[in-house]
Amino acid sequence: MGASHAQIDHVVALGYAAWLDEQFALPSSGTRWDWLVAQGYRDIAHKNDQAGFDAAAWSKLLSAPDTLRQRMTLALSEIFVTAIDGLAGGGWRQFAAAAYLDLLEANAFGSHRSLLQQISLNAAMGEFLTFRGSAKGNLGSGALPDENYARESMQLFTIGLVQLNLDGTAQLTAGKTADTYGQDDITGLARVFTGWDFDLAGLTGAAATATPDFMRRPMVQVASRYETGAKTFLGTTIAAGTAAGTGLTQALDTIFSHPNVAPFFSRQLIQRLVTSNPSPAYVARVAAVFNNDGTGTKGNLRAVLRALLLDDEARSDTVAAVTSFGKLREPILRLVAWARAYGATSPSGAWAVGNTSDPATRLGQSPLRSPSVFNFFRPGYVPPNSALSNAALEAPEFQIANESSVVGYLNFMQRAVAGTVGDITPDYSSLLALADNASALLGEVNLVLAANQLSGATTAALASAVQSMPAGTDASRRNRVNAALLLVLAAPEFIVQK
Amino acid sequence: MTSITSRRAFLQRASLLSLAGAATPWALNLAAMGEAAAATAADYKALVCVFLYGGNDYGNTLIPYDNTRYALYQGMRPTLAYAQSDLTATLLTPNVALTGGIQYALAPELAPLLPLFNGNKLAVMLNVGTLVQPTTKAQYTAKSVPLPPKLFSHNDQQSVWQSSAPEGAASGWGGRMGDLFQAGNGNATFSCVNVSGNAVFLSGHSAVQYQVSPSGPVALNGVKNPLFGSATCSAALRALVTAPSTHLFESEYTRVMSRSLTAGDALSRALAAGPTINTVFPAGNGLADQLKLVARMIGTAAELGAKRQVFFVSMGGFDTHDGLATIHPGLLTSVAGAMSAFYNATVELGVASQVTSFTASDFGRTLTGNDGSDHGWGSMHFMLGGAVAGGRFYGSAPVVANGGPDDVGQGRLLPSTSVDQYAATLGKWFGISDADLLTVLPNLSHWNASDRTLGFV
Repeated sequence: MGASHAQIDHVVALGYAAWLDEQFALPSSGTRWDWLVAQGYRDIAHKNDQAGFDAAAWSKLLSAPDTLRQRMTLALSEIFVTAIDGLAGGGWRQFAAAAYLDLLEANAFGSHRSLLQQISLNAAMGEFLTFRGSAKGNLGSGALPDENYARESMQLFTIGLVQLNLDGTAQLTAGKTADTYGQDDITGLARVFTGWDFDLAGLTGAAATATPDFMRRPMVQVASRYETGAKTFLGTTIAAGTAAGTGLTQALDTIFSHPNVAPFFSRQLIQRLVTSNPSPAYVARVAAVFNNDGTGTKGNLRAVLRALLLDDEARSDTVAAVTSFGKLREPILRLVAWARAYGATSPSGAWAVGNTSDPATRLGQSPLRSPSVFNFFRPGYVPPNSALSNAALEAPEFQIANESSVVGYLNFMQRAVAGTVGDITPDYSSLLALADNASALLGEVNLVLAANQLSGATTAALASAVQSMPAGTDASRRNRVNAALLLVLAAPEFIVQK
Repeated sequence: MTSITSRRAFLQRASLLSLAGAATPWALNLAAMGEAAAATAADYKALVCVFLYGGNDYGNTLIPYDNTRYALYQGMRPTLAYAQSDLTATLLTPNVALTGGIQYALAPELAPLLPLFNGNKLAVMLNVGTLVQPTTKAQYTAKSVPLPPKLFSHNDQQSVWQSSAPEGAASGWGGRMGDLFQAGNGNATFSCVNVSGNAVFLSGHSAVQYQVSPSGPVALNGVKNPLFGSATCSAALRALVTAPSTHLFESEYTRVMSRSLTAGDALSRALAAGPTINTVFPAGNGLADQLKLVARMIGTAAELGAKRQVFFVSMGGFDTHDGLATIHPGLLTSVAGAMSAFYNATVELGVASQVTSFTASDFGRTLTGNDGSDHGWGSMHFMLGGAVAGGRFYGSAPVVANGGPDDVGQGRLLPSTSVDQYAATLGKWFGISDADLLTVLPNLSHWNASDRTLGFV
């Protein structure tokens, strides 16, 4: 996620566990929703645009002091995916998307089960996976309820396609995997997700959607559209006549009780935060904490995070030295690392980083702008026909690394480093003081930005190049700092996080 | 190709044949298997896969038009159906009529494709989808034959369409075709070109997809120009991002970066020297932007020494669900505008008969629908080009039904033609031998030899 020199010193002084406790205890850094309101985006003129969303998302990622909560929120947004372009039907996309991220953030250290309940009633999710307004079956045409949320919430959010062991590996019987569900389970579960729609209570009339307020209310039932009959899936039947809210809770309880939930979620969270190919034993240790946090509670995300980040496999220098350990740092996090290392601010308060999705000119990735519910990259992505595939290694983030995006990223960072992306302004005072000594400059950048991951040979080569630049004036020092930063941001040893 | 490489390739080919049925090692160089074909490929040909991500709704793409079947269609999706009267202008009149009075119309938004159909440049593939072997409804119901893994799942069926295996597949059939021909291309890097995002379709056993943006290769500013005023730092940057590494992730990253810098320079020069394309591509249409770049690259094929190229372009948004009525028509407008402009550009370049484009998608969708349609299986697709025996339908028209003989419920079509047959037909035109097609398409051998290709091109 990125940290300044002072913050690194602070972690060293406290120790990892105490630092985590401090992060868990930090107050929330304010909501994106409130930021949008304060910036004036609640005006009816913005009902049908997305204005303000990217800024709201970036301001938190680049500068909010509750680092771990922001990091977890980003990770959750890449597991429980929605995307602002897919939020159709109610206008106010920036508010719907902001409310969704705020929801993830509010639950980042909370209960996985509670999070499931809340996203299943969230207006943005209802729009994105199209069950907002879903109607019961039609005997005349033979149509059945919309299956989108039933399918994707099981495949992508909770249990996946095949039965798993606690360590995240697939259960095999005679060499074959076993499916977690079939089409009949989808059809049955889809009946639960009927009848839900925006809560416009107290907002009736033409003005009901004239403000975005309904976008952060949990969806409510429209009885005439709800399927009241029995619903059978995953070996459970919700009895006919069960109230819609009760049925939803029962359905999510059923899914949550599936033994896949712990390894499915734990492995993906390890991939988001630590390494693309965790050992089965590491997954099993984290999944065990997911199943029981020590007090008999399942799904305690704070306990899961603690176990995941303090695990020996996440902390060991020996493990980190293995040539298959680590993960490709996703482009969003590379920008965030730079901004947080040098305390970037937006003097105007506009945080005008914008949509960074274009791979040819920007990052090829932008918060809550995945092209589909399948995220920017899949947890099981393997770069085909590569040394990684030869070694049977997964490398999710490589799904968005290609000949255009690797260059587009560096071109974008060259502008960011120079301070010409929006008014995002870094504080280079610590670096300018070292700039006349390229070796000291590179050492400092390597430590703060790249966690000392660059080898001595690499830093020496880069320092030698920077040392050839003019020195001794403010302008030349700034050029040296810019060059040093861009070179480290380009270094494969930085781009792969270990 | 040096004699040493050839000898090694020969040995690899021999070892592959001896390993028939076993998993193919990564490093095996299948390019060797195409040496004969490559050596004789004096002409130029290109295949262009137009992938519609999300699962295109076949029911509102190719609409049953004859009264009997239109009524069934309308009854199954009353709130989603086009009015029959709105389809009159796009009624397809094929050279070979379908039996039983069956008629289809294109969605009105596909009207730009109608003259191409009438001019015998566009053909329609009926009910094609992923299969392991020929499969009847009874066999599907009894699960008595192997079925494609993870049906109805987006990511997996995209992968099966592109590679014959679910997500995580090591290679796709576009890349495996590239394997056969890259040795005969002047620059092997441009054998498999992706103008969209990464796709397993274009990865072969030896062929690697080259990704390029719709505006052409992206130059690295810090290398092209002195980095913050320093040419020394530019040189250091180039060395840094292309240096080999023992770390597997770093190594893969620098491999992509190296390919970007090296190939980008060559392609930029070729594009700058290539012909100007005057055909107007629709604006604000991402698919059209991609196809225009494909046309520009085809225009530079001679310059780059390319004889056989496989291209991949794509468009997202087809997982419309309840947005079918509101979103899908606009998507079709984009597809039709982009593909017809692309065909016109190949005419302008004088290569219309050497370029065949075809559509593909995750899966078809259900035909029943309240407010939208759900994930399905078989679907309808289009083949376009001067070499296509167009103006007609291929495959068999499915019965329009919910739980009828040709669907597995809700109008989810059980494919009567496999992706492998569709691909084999394209591959045969491309110049791949019958024997090599069985390697490119591992399930193809499950069809009788006489059924393996369909003759549409």
